[in-house]
Amino acid sequence: MKKHPMLKYLKEEGPLGPRMPLIFCPGCGSGQVLNYTLHAVDRVIQEDGIRRENFLFISGIGCSGRITSHYLNFDSAWTIHGRAPAVATGALLANPAFKIIVFTGDGDAGSIGGNHFIHACRRNIDMTILCLNNGLYGMTGGQHAPTTPIGTITTTTPYRNREAAFDLCKLAEVAGASYVARWTTAHPRQVIRSIVKGIRKRGTAFIEILSQCPVHERMSPVAILKRFRRDTIQIGKARESAERKTTIGEFCDLTKAEWNESYQGIIDQFLINSDTANEQIVD
Amino acid sequence: MNKLWIDERYCKGCLICVDVCPTKALKASPEINAKGYILPTESDMERCKRCGLCELMCPDFAIAIEEGED
Repeated sequence: MKKHPMLKYLKEEGPLGPRMPLIFCPGCGSGQVLNYTLHAVDRVIQEDGIRRENFLFISGIGCSGRITSHYLNFDSAWTIHGRAPAVATGALLANPAFKIIVFTGDGDAGSIGGNHFIHACRRNIDMTILCLNNGLYGMTGGQHAPTTPIGTITTTTPYRNREAAFDLCKLAEVAGASYVARWTTAHPRQVIRSIVKGIRKRGTAFIEILSQCPVHERMSPVAILKRFRRDTIQIGKARESAERKTTIGEFCDLTKAEWNESYQGIIDQFLINSDTANEQIVD
Repeated sequence: MNKLWIDERYCKGCLICVDVCPTKALKASPEINAKGYILPTESDMERCKRCGLCELMCPDFAIAIEEGED
């Protein structure tokens, strides 16, 4: 009997009985993003020879937080709301060999964890931040979030949302992340390619994945995926097109000094100085 | 011919696999299972090219295609 190829990275059985199926609602984008991430991690493990123990998955609170909490057969931490980049910073200080993947939602990264998120980008810390943006607070009942597009009906904006939405990709780019991309759950190959690039990138990689919430958007997942394909445009074509669509693609891909490496410079400088100082004492 | 495998414990019947299949080798089952979900089933597995899109886009890790002999 054949199984899904990515089930080898998941814990199907726990000490208290079976952990699967996933807790997410039918057709939720979180399961799809988990699937894409495991495909990307599988490719990195096979092509780069990075060991499985070197991966660390960290998440905050929200539907996206549940990804790391029960199912991954990797080292993982389910941390406080919005503070996943802060915990990742500490983990990276303890072990710079970690390949850290942070799962956040739009409420986690954009509202309560906004400061932690922009300062992780500013310091250019070596982590891959995956933001599952469904444009509302899914777990608490579909309230409007900072990323809800203008004109959307949610449970707290019954007369349509009037507030402008946060563009998390622009925010990450301005704050100083090395790699910024936006895709949707309807673009699996592109998401996997971006996550592989993000894991290999030295510095902060921020990948926003527009995701569906079939329960609170009151649409079938298939219809939302079709809308994603219809209402998005690649960044190369977006400049020429007059249509107002959501831009997707890679927004920046830079090579900059990474946080741990730049501090290693100071440590090396002191080590060299102390060596010469010791030599002087010996002389 | 490739063989379809669906884990009925994990599948929640979102039918994304049926929608993304480029050769229409899958279809929605006419029956509702014990949990109340409509699971996907094979319509014509002769047409399956094993592109892997259904495996890739499944949110619940419930579908797999086994490579056939010919």
